[in-house]
Amino acid sequence: MRLAAEHTHARHHIGELLLAALPSELGAARAFAERVGVAFGLDGDDCYDFTYAVNEAVTNAIRHGAPDRHGRIHLSFRASASRLTIAVRDYGTFVMPVARSDARSEHGRGFPLMARLTDAVRVRVEPGRTTVYLSKARA
Amino acid sequence: MSYFHIADDTAPAGVGDGDEVAVLVAAGEVDFAAAPQLRERISDQLDAGRRQLVLDVSSVTFIDSTAIGVLVGVITRLQDAGDGSLAIVCGEENRPVMRIFDISGLTGLVAVHRTREEAFSALVTAG
Repeated sequence: MRLAAEHTHARHHIGELLLAALPSELGAARAFAERVGVAFGLDGDDCYDFTYAVNEAVTNAIRHGAPDRHGRIHLSFRASASRLTIAVRDYGTFVMPVARSDARSEHGRGFPLMARLTDAVRVRVEPGRTTVYLSKARA
Repeated sequence: MSYFHIADDTAPAGVGDGDEVAVLVAAGEVDFAAAPQLRERISDQLDAGRRQLVLDVSSVTFIDSTAIGVLVGVITRLQDAGDGSLAIVCGEENRPVMRIFDISGLTGLVAVHRTREEAFSALVTAG
């Protein structure tokens, strides 16, 4: 697994999901994120927030990214002692979202929501693939 | 896997301008797959000439940024045209959705009522 090799040894791989890049699969992404969050020990609100942020990242990957050659988005979860991190990877070229502070805009709420609902959001852009990392600390 | 449902309901007699009032009741998860349905059902009411919409999301368990974008689009178009309104109802017990409304800035754009009755009286007052 390429992803595992990129991470430090301190983290443990606790789950992976290859998801068809279809809006109808978002429920499956949320169910998986929730299961992983509960297993890690996130409490009710934190687990809801984590699941919400994962849904936003996967939605972006489906809307704006590109799937792998099998039509899939890759989700993988890692846990350290105190924090749970998910990587949402697609195989498109990342387009920087336009920063909007306009409350009347229909778009541009995904990343601000992810930032508010998690402890860290990172985006890794590489040729031919984009990975969004979302981390949530255990209370 | 995920569940979303939206249905029409009727406003009590004497609320707002009668034929102009439409009540929509949504339930379940409003994600990127469901947001188009939300948009369509609201558009159907506007196309039918109803200009005072009440959307009850008390039974919605999840609403993503694309669905909030749909609501913001409808609200701002009606506000700009000055010919209608969309009132949102979210029961007090629905803390997760209310919090998302707060964080996303929706509550700064439109009043979110705790009960349908409260939304209806706001319509009456406005009319």
